[in-house]
Amino acid sequence: MGNHSSLLLREEEIETIQQETGFTPNQIERLYSRFTSLDKGDNGFLCREDFHRIPELAINPLGDRIVNAFFCESGSEDQLNFRQFMKVLAHFRPVKKDKENKLNSREGKLRFAFQMYDTDNDEQISKEELLGVLQMMVGDNISEEQLVSIAERTIVEADKDGDQMISFQEFCTALERTDVEQKMSIRFLN
Amino acid sequence: MSITRTLVFFVLCVAASELATNIAALSEVPLHGHSTIQYVDNPVGSSPGVVTLPSAVHHAEDRSGLADAVSSPSVSTGDHPVDGGVHPPVDPGTAGGHGGGHGEGIHVFTAEFARVEIPFIISLWIFCASLAKIGFHMAPKLSSIFPESCLLIVVGIVIGLLLFHTNSAGVSPLTPTTFFFYMLPPIILDAGYFMPNRLFFDHLGTILLFAVLGTIWNTVSIGLALWGCGLTGLYGFELPLLDTFLFSALISAVDPVAVLAVFEEIHVNEILYIVVFGESLLNDAVTVVLYNMFDAYVGMGQENIKYTDILSGFASFIVVAIGGTLIGIIWGFLTGFVTRFTNHVRVIEPIFIFVMSYLAYLNAEIFHMSGILAITFCGITMKNYVEGNISPKSHTTIKYAMKMLSSSSETIIFMFLGVNTVNDQHDWNTAFILLTILFCSVFRAIGCIVLTEVANRFRLHKLNHVEKFVMSYGGLRGAVAFALVLLVDPNKVKKQPLFVTATISVVYFTVFFQGITIKPLVKYLKVKRANKFEKTMNERLHEKLVDYTMAGMEDILGHTGNLKIRDKFKQIDNKYIRPCLIREHAAHEPKILETYSKLTMRDAMDFMRRNATSSNLTGGNSESMAVLFRNYTANNLNGSASMAQMDNGWNLDIGELAYSPSARDLSDAKVHHMLSEELWKPYRRSSRRLSYSRHAVNDHDLSSSHHVNHNMHMHIRRMVSETVRKQHSKQGGSRNSTKSVSFKPLKENGLEKKLHDDYLHAVIKEVSEAEERNTSLDNVGAQAAGSSEDLDGDGAGITFIARKASTKLKREEEDKKRLITDQVEEDDGEAHPSTPTAAEMQLPWKRDDADDMSTFAIKQSEFPLWVDNKEYNNYYSPTNTFLGELDKKKSQHPSVIDIFTREHRTADLSERGENTLSPPTSFDVTVTIPEEISKEDEEAEANQKTFTK
Repeated sequence: MGNHSSLLLREEEIETIQQETGFTPNQIERLYSRFTSLDKGDNGFLCREDFHRIPELAINPLGDRIVNAFFCESGSEDQLNFRQFMKVLAHFRPVKKDKENKLNSREGKLRFAFQMYDTDNDEQISKEELLGVLQMMVGDNISEEQLVSIAERTIVEADKDGDQMISFQEFCTALERTDVEQKMSIRFLN
Repeated sequence: MSITRTLVFFVLCVAASELATNIAALSEVPLHGHSTIQYVDNPVGSSPGVVTLPSAVHHAEDRSGLADAVSSPSVSTGDHPVDGGVHPPVDPGTAGGHGGGHGEGIHVFTAEFARVEIPFIISLWIFCASLAKIGFHMAPKLSSIFPESCLLIVVGIVIGLLLFHTNSAGVSPLTPTTFFFYMLPPIILDAGYFMPNRLFFDHLGTILLFAVLGTIWNTVSIGLALWGCGLTGLYGFELPLLDTFLFSALISAVDPVAVLAVFEEIHVNEILYIVVFGESLLNDAVTVVLYNMFDAYVGMGQENIKYTDILSGFASFIVVAIGGTLIGIIWGFLTGFVTRFTNHVRVIEPIFIFVMSYLAYLNAEIFHMSGILAITFCGITMKNYVEGNISPKSHTTIKYAMKMLSSSSETIIFMFLGVNTVNDQHDWNTAFILLTILFCSVFRAIGCIVLTEVANRFRLHKLNHVEKFVMSYGGLRGAVAFALVLLVDPNKVKKQPLFVTATISVVYFTVFFQGITIKPLVKYLKVKRANKFEKTMNERLHEKLVDYTMAGMEDILGHTGNLKIRDKFKQIDNKYIRPCLIREHAAHEPKILETYSKLTMRDAMDFMRRNATSSNLTGGNSESMAVLFRNYTANNLNGSASMAQMDNGWNLDIGELAYSPSARDLSDAKVHHMLSEELWKPYRRSSRRLSYSRHAVNDHDLSSSHHVNHNMHMHIRRMVSETVRKQHSKQGGSRNSTKSVSFKPLKENGLEKKLHDDYLHAVIKEVSEAEERNTSLDNVGAQAAGSSEDLDGDGAGITFIARKASTKLKREEEDKKRLITDQVEEDDGEAHPSTPTAAEMQLPWKRDDADDMSTFAIKQSEFPLWVDNKEYNNYYSPTNTFLGELDKKKSQHPSVIDIFTREHRTADLSERGENTLSPPTSFDVTVTIPEEISKEDEEAEANQKTFTK
């Protein structure tokens, strides 16, 4: 499989991806082999089913959202090619001071997290959107009422302009003290 | 100034401990210790103890049973905490004098110190240590330069010197047994129980690397280097290789107690803290194994060691480490399981946490496994489950008890370190000791640099040079090493006294030199400081989201990271473990709920604090807290301008958002609500416990209703009497009406007056029984009745009964209930307006006057704030029947908010009516305020001041 994958990946493709995302060629090849192993149909792109086939992701309460984020980010409905795949993953590269990259900057990471909430892409997290995520995470054992009050509380806390929504700006302010660079990074193997 | 105070404290401490010593000397029964404490040939061996014991027996001639009791503690001395706290020598003179003193027959006054000596001295030590600690904190300058541990050691040295010069004996309160069995466990438990789990497991890899490889590296390198220097003849004596290794094994371990003491003061960032502190906790297993290994080797002799022994040493490391950890985890789960069933006996909850973790420690010690690992992991494991089961009050108890135990044993450890320094068994060898200190520092630094390089390869957050430096500099040695070196048998290891001295020197060097300098250094190097804060709801929520996202990403990437393992564990935990161990297994993300409730609580507390006056009245009462908070959030969520009002003071009524009442109205309302909450509710006669149960800590019991009630009662008594006084002085005087809203004063209706009086008589009767003040009360008039109606729940119970109620009020609950039922029936006969006006909502008692208006008799449709507390309604409320009536019409239970929001508009209307000073017809209702009531308002205001005092 590994052999097969490296054959498909052309030099210039690696280069563009490298420029776009900041991954090293080594990492790109490694991730490409993962990509092809996920791509069960050998189509050269991933569809939602491919993601849902990952057993751990299937039981992740936010699994759907994560998969959605991949497709949402790339703009396509049900096909995700390797370049788009890499672009999403690039958000999770650790921040390095010398190599600036828009995707894995603090803002880029926060933007990704924000989009996990913002399902209707209106740049605002509404109470309903927050409630949706809460329901997924906290589970059904807890009363709706309590979740609503948690969601309300969260919004009131972050809402600076009083529109009962959390804008991206407010989202960033709310997470000012959090070490997002650290928390939203994965150590990609070399 | 403050330093002198501190000095006074020192002197006090010293004096106290000297007193103890002298008493001990007088009592002529020196504590004789277990063999373990006699690490040197103690001149006060067992023989004096044995000799003197009979004297105690003799002393208590006819109490032979007691003789056993007297002798038994000294037999078991070895295991006793401060065993042999003071070893006074037998002063022949005193002994003789005392010996002659006790004759036969019955003593009217006898001093038998021997009987209480051990616990007495233990307590005295703790007392002194704690006093010393208070002393430091009185001198802020002192404690800002020196860490507490240094100061405690200094105090210890001072005491030690005093003891030494007064008794000239080897004083050794700190024995290994005492240390390991009694002093260390509380500290480690505290560390484990309050360990930030997430942080700890995030950095577990680095911590283990340092704890295992770092410690082994230190042991080997220090041992070899010291031995190598010994070969050159630098020390002037020969040092066997194995002895050196034994010493290096005990000296190389970073000490959790010292690290905690110093790092808690310098507040470095959490990663640095957890790495150093985690290392100090987990290296215990390595230290124990290495120590035992070399101890055994020394016993066997160098030439008899086979390679299998070395192999078995490594095998034992795995057994000791894994075994200790497993024992701890098992006990942790057991604790969680036990606390699942404690909901009926809340009072013993904390004891399980303490005892079971201690059992874990001892259990590990039985098998010679790492007790520190066991108790650490026991704490880590139990925490999450226990917290789900125990009551918040137990939680607080545990927290404080644990902190108290750990900080007092830390204090004592450092003090004893100081005391133990002063003895004449020291064997000073400058070269050896200086080299030991040098090697300890140098090899620690080298080890840190090399190991962080290794760790950084696998770490997301790379440790930089400054952090490396702090890590190596923070490698403090402490009491664990000292206790271990005392355990070394001087018969086997000839140079044991030298080792003791060297250990003390190293400990002093690290604690004093490094401990003092680390703070400025951290500042100078600009190490990232810890910023301690409570997570906001947003942070908590978004971080959880990020966690899940990252776990999902790791799944997609297909490699196993921290997050994925955590996710797996969480799933297993939620599916299998939590349901078993937690009584009310509710949600998958308990942390979110926890944060929520914590923040909610804080908001409520903030609110209470800002509204200090009302918090005084309603504080400590969970139901009214809930009400307060609901109002608070409701106001917040409405986003209205009501915040100003809330800051203003005490407006707790949500219905007033659009109604801007006068100050007096508000104070009225406050008094009213206070009364309705505090006085009606507590009078649940039926629920009062008839049988006294000492150990019940139900939340009901603790809600202090009776207590508060009593206070309130006294206030009211005072209020009434003040009203009387004011009434007398004010009679006929004009009143300042600037503050009042433009309520039209109405003439009091005769009927109303009479009714009030009727009721008043009843009240007076009741009051007079208690206070015999009926004569003055007669003059109070209706306004006093207005308040005492509410206040004197004992007699009346419920305001609206009292109004028309029969002149004879019976105390029995059943009678009251019947009355209410009657009352309700009567009320039902009347015509009801749909909604009360704002003033009524604000000042509900004013509604009483509506009775005058034949057209506008108002039904009592505003309920006291506890009305939506279903439990109370169902079981305790005398108004149950009343509510039942209401329920028939409106199947849903009415909540205060509902009522208020529904009637919001009316309030608006009436307010506008007031403002324009052209009252519409419906406004009549608001206007029906008798003069007396508004006067009473003033009284209430005045009383309010007394309340808040």
